[in-house]
Parts: sequence; structure tokens; C-alpha cells
Amino acid sequence: MILAAAMNPEAFSGAQDAITRIRRGDPDALTAVISRYQHRLYRYLLRLVREPAVADDLFQQTWLRVMEKIGRYDVRRSFEAWLFSVAHNLAIDFWRGKRGESLHDAGDAGDSGAAPGERLSTGEPDALERLLDFERGAMLAASMHELPAIHREVLTLRFEEDMKLEEIAEVAGIPLSTVKSRLRRALEGLRAAMEARLPGGRRA
Amino acid sequence: MSEHESMRGLLALAAAGALDSQEQRRLQEHVRECAACRRELEIWSGYSQGLRQLPQPPIPAQLMERTRARLVQEHAAAADRRWDELMLGALALFAWTVGLTFWFVTRIVTGGQLIFMGANLVRFGTWSAGSTVLVWLTAAVAAIALGRRRRELRRAL
Repeated sequence: MILAAAMNPEAFSGAQDAITRIRRGDPDALTAVISRYQHRLYRYLLRLVREPAVADDLFQQTWLRVMEKIGRYDVRRSFEAWLFSVAHNLAIDFWRGKRGESLHDAGDAGDSGAAPGERLSTGEPDALERLLDFERGAMLAASMHELPAIHREVLTLRFEEDMKLEEIAEVAGIPLSTVKSRLRRALEGLRAAMEARLPGGRRA
Repeated sequence: MSEHESMRGLLALAAAGALDSQEQRRLQEHVRECAACRRELEIWSGYSQGLRQLPQPPIPAQLMERTRARLVQEHAAAADRRWDELMLGALALFAWTVGLTFWFVTRIVTGGQLIFMGANLVRFGTWSAGSTVLVWLTAAVAAIALGRRRRELRRAL
């Protein structure tokens, strides 16, 4: 009965209650929480690692880790931030195990680039119109795909998860000032990638 | 760096809603006067809006069910492990208690002398050392056997 209720997101009545039950080792309570966060967590992992099979496995590992570490979760803090930080750490472990990479290496571009002022002055007259084109979403997703993992991560956490900067700092384990600079570089990198794709656009 | 240049550096973050109130106020004042920055801000806002509406990836088939099955399996394995550890501990304690009782009985029956290869086996030190070694050897063999069974079960799953 608990499982039936737990499988239905509509029947989810209070994350705190579910977390208390998870702490008691109830796997059905965890199912309720998984159901609530599955789309968001999978999307985050996919944006981060880019490979669906890896995101799938990390998704499952995240919940195993949540079950194992739930006793260490401080209920006064955001559960979402804690959950995503568990996933973040597993992604780091994955890269380390894969080929000794880090989150910083997992991507094509580096964290440096042209000065913001230079790139900001390159907007084509019709760039906004192009941006609003119906293909914008797919092109943006493809451009984001080219960015380093640390940049993909801040973009998805800020814009898709709508997390506050403080929460992003908690997930990624970095200071708030780094979140801001990373976010700016990510946006600049995205714009450069996007402009390179647009006819007449230029790579900064 | 001029005010215009420093403000341009904030435009992307402004569109991302990542400025503090003071930066936000300065930028608003600047953008009111500067058409170029106004235009840039519009472009960055377009990116922000686009990022909030990216195509959503489809979730893999039965991800939820597979995750749940793995959790249940792991939960059961953890419970098994706890049970095995408890049983091993209880058995070790039981064996040691039996050894101690047997020592008492043997001591009474033999009158405190049971010489084997020059050693008095009923001496408390000798007896307890011997029985402790025996208990832990048995426990180690049992732990190895249990570990092997667990590995076989995991392979079967």
C-alpha cells in the first residue's frame, strides 16, 4: 500500500516525512522521493556526463548513495542541493575512474577565453531574431553540449533547476564567487559556440 | 576600466539573475543611458530564456523500476550482511562460553592437572588461548564461506 502511494507523485505528501522514513531504511519511502526527482536528477546527470548510459548508471548509484548516507543529511538544509551534490560527487568519481579526468577536464574547451568585453561587442544586428528562431532550443542544447562539464553544470543548475547561487555552490562544492565567475564564463562560452553555428556569426 | 566596460561585464550575469542588489542598481542606471548595453542585455536575456526552455531529454525506459529493484536488492543484501555479522558474533560468543564451561568441568574432573606435551591444558591461560584461537579460526572459516556465498549470489543476480 505504501509502495502504491509512493509510486504516484500526486500522493507525495511532504518530503520531510519521506526523508524520515528513508532514515529508517524504508526503500518504499525512497521510491517516493525518486519519483519526485527522477526527471530533474536524470537531466542534470545527462547534461553533466552527456552519455545516456552513464547518466542512467549514475542515477541509480546516486539513490544507492542517498540510502546509504541519508543519516548524514542535515534536514535544515536543502534536500535538493544535497541530492545533487551526491550526484555531482559520483560524476567526479566516474571521471576519475575513467581516465584520471576531473570535472574541469571533462569537456572540450578550457575555463579561459577572450575577455568578456571583446565578445560582448560582436552581437549581429539580427542575432536576437535568430535566437528566437524555432530551432533555437536545439541549437542551444547542441552548443551547450560543446562546453566543459563545469560550465554545463552551472548552466543546468541555474536555468533548468532554477537553483540559487548559494545552492549551486553547495552542489558543486565551490565558493559563491567561483559560481558567479563560472556562470559568466559558461554564458560567454555558450554564446561563442552559438555564434559559431549561426551563419555570419563568428567564433570569439 | 570605464563604467561602461565594467557594466558590460555584468550583463550576462544580470540576465542570469546573478547580481547582488548593488550591482543590479548600478546596471539599471547605466542601461537606461546606454543603448548598446540595453541591446546586449536583450541578447543575454534571450540566452537565459532559451536555457530555461531547452528540449528535455527523454528519461530511459523503466529507469525508476530498475533503480527501485537495485535498491531493494541492495537493501536485502545489507540486511543479509548485518544478519551474518550478528550471527557470527553470537556464535563466537557461544563457542567461547561453551569453552569456558568445559574448562570448569574438565578442571573439576581432572583435579586441575591435564598434562599434554609438557603443558597443563587446564591452566586458565593455556585453555583460554587455545579455545580463543579455535573460535576465531572457525569464525574466519565461516566468514570466508559466507563471503563466497554472497559473491555467488551476486553473480546469479
